[in-house]
Amino acid sequence: MFSAPEGSFWLFLAPSAVVLGAVMLYPLGYAIYLSLFNYDLGSGSRDFIGLGNYAALLIDARFWDTLNRTVAIVLAAVGLEFCLGLLVAYGLYRLTFGVRTLNLLLFLPSIVTPVVAALFLRWIFVGRWGLLSASLIGLGVFPPDFLGNPGWARVTVVLADSWQFTPFMILVLYAGLNTVDQSQIEAAQIDGAGVWMLLFRIMLPAIRPLIVFVLAIRLMDAFRFFDTIYVLTSGGPGTATETITLYTYALAFRLLQIGKASALGVLTLLFVAMLVALMIRVVYRRERGAF
Amino acid sequence: MAKLQLSRRSIVAATLAAPAILGGRARAAGTIQMISHRYPALEYYAEKMRNAVPGTTVNTQLMPIDKALELATIAMSSKSDTPDIVYASDTSFQTFVKNGWFRPLDDLWAKYRDEFKLDDFPEAVRKTYMRDGHIYVVPHTLNAMMFFYRKDLFDAAGKAPPKSFTQYAALAKSFNSPQRSGNVSCLKPVDAAINEAHWYFNALGDGWFDKDWKPIFNHAKGVQAIEMMKEIARSAQQGFSAAANDECMIAYQQDTGVMGLQWASRAKAMDDPNKSRIVGKIDWVAPPQGHARISGDGYAISAFSKQDPDTLFRIIATSASQANMRGAASLLIPPRKSLLEDAELKQANRFYPAALASYESGVAAPSLPEFYAVGEFITRRILQAVTGEMPVKQALDTAANETTEFLKGHGYYK
Repeated sequence: MFSAPEGSFWLFLAPSAVVLGAVMLYPLGYAIYLSLFNYDLGSGSRDFIGLGNYAALLIDARFWDTLNRTVAIVLAAVGLEFCLGLLVAYGLYRLTFGVRTLNLLLFLPSIVTPVVAALFLRWIFVGRWGLLSASLIGLGVFPPDFLGNPGWARVTVVLADSWQFTPFMILVLYAGLNTVDQSQIEAAQIDGAGVWMLLFRIMLPAIRPLIVFVLAIRLMDAFRFFDTIYVLTSGGPGTATETITLYTYALAFRLLQIGKASALGVLTLLFVAMLVALMIRVVYRRERGAF
Repeated sequence: MAKLQLSRRSIVAATLAAPAILGGRARAAGTIQMISHRYPALEYYAEKMRNAVPGTTVNTQLMPIDKALELATIAMSSKSDTPDIVYASDTSFQTFVKNGWFRPLDDLWAKYRDEFKLDDFPEAVRKTYMRDGHIYVVPHTLNAMMFFYRKDLFDAAGKAPPKSFTQYAALAKSFNSPQRSGNVSCLKPVDAAINEAHWYFNALGDGWFDKDWKPIFNHAKGVQAIEMMKEIARSAQQGFSAAANDECMIAYQQDTGVMGLQWASRAKAMDDPNKSRIVGKIDWVAPPQGHARISGDGYAISAFSKQDPDTLFRIIATSASQANMRGAASLLIPPRKSLLEDAELKQANRFYPAALASYESGVAAPSLPEFYAVGEFITRRILQAVTGEMPVKQALDTAANETTEFLKGHGYYK
């Protein structure tokens, strides 16, 4: 039994629990339920097939292709965002003036609605008359086909995601660097630590929980990478940039296979949950319970 | 008389309940929602719908075809009453009717036959939009894919428009340069890529399916057709694999492409001085070896609409009246007998001869309700072949297997 004050604390959580239940747990439960049916949205037929959709997906070559592609794009994008974010955050940390203004300006891409940002980027990367291609042609360089060549299209979507979400990394990491104990930094400097040694040996280990947090958040977010790719390439050319969310969308709204699409959504959720759990376990293998 | 007591709680409750109570009634008498594909002719018709029936407000939402079809699918599959008037092509209407999402128009057609001169629509056009003996769509356009080419450049080079795919490939290669692509291709999945693949499969192969809806596009001739498409795509504009009709139209207008396949409904925009740098420089002929796609568009009434069907039909039929269609005749081929035979219109629109020739040599899309659905993976595999990510034969075999599996799951081949 709860004591009276503790019981009243639960009351404070009740509104959030109701909202979460309504907008997250119920849809999740419904998606799991639908994933057990051969549900065709067009004909309206709904036949119970148990785990049939999961079995079909696990032998579906397109599922494995999109999963591998998603992992590659997510790792490239989040990796790039982390490296760039850390460098810029450390640069800001060491700056002695103009930090606030720079921070504000750097954060601008993150406050633009993703679809709007993707439309901006489309007009930058689109072939021939796009800003980038036209500029390169103006300089006498014949540009690559940024959205039409499979390889370049993958690079472009990684750059697009990085452009939009590196500022988030910068903000979080910059805040984290500012929490490092000054006495540790001064002690390291007295011992002769240089700029990079200070960063890698003192500061990064000190903000490790924050790094895991920000990487986990971005990994989960990047796995849902949809709007930018949908606007930039629609998953093309061919299937070159088709991620798992785009495949889910195609299953649901083009092929109208709602049961299979729901199963794919559940599999994606399980995969991301396992990935994040694995990451936390690896980073904290010597400090269990620290996160 | 009982005293009306208002507490804060009752006011809040009433405020929250009001939209729910009034919403249904307001919706029934309120704005009529229309979803449509967008190109110049359909923009014109949307404008006519907005002013068709005095006292009604029509909210017209126009967007690229893939988005329009997806939005309509999402709305009508959930039995939403939001779209009242829905765009339909000769292909998409089959899907929507099979799913029970369109209202049959037979009663309204009979009721308004004389007022809107509905017998003026050729029987062949009416049959395009019939299924199981019922009509579902009021036709608004006839469309044909024509061969667009830069006459000024051809004349300067002493060349004539191609008569075969081999000539087309050679000409595209000879005209190709960093500043101006020799060929303009639109291969964005699903609709644009289907259009172009349709031409190759029908002109060089045996088409998409046999009479039992089994795929034949992966047979030897189909593989050769996509090999040819791949060859010609080497001279295509940048971004062709993500280009739909809008992007291709801009490629011509901005003088960055020389020739290619495009809809007749895009011809007039070539001569628009506000948008085009090539006014008077484009000419049109029927596509080499014929067999390019012919199509048509129109509007239907959602089976889930709560609006008055008579009002909706009047809006649609008014926009497609003879007078309005005459006004749109510079933007499309009007599907009314009286206008098709109008000598004045033929003379005023220089693309008409090529459009009519293209229509006569063209082929409609397969009348398979699942055509757009299977087109989703067929076009992606074709693009994998064209961009070199997969050998052509392997890509088409994969697409054929996926198509067969999908159609089998939908009750075919029993």
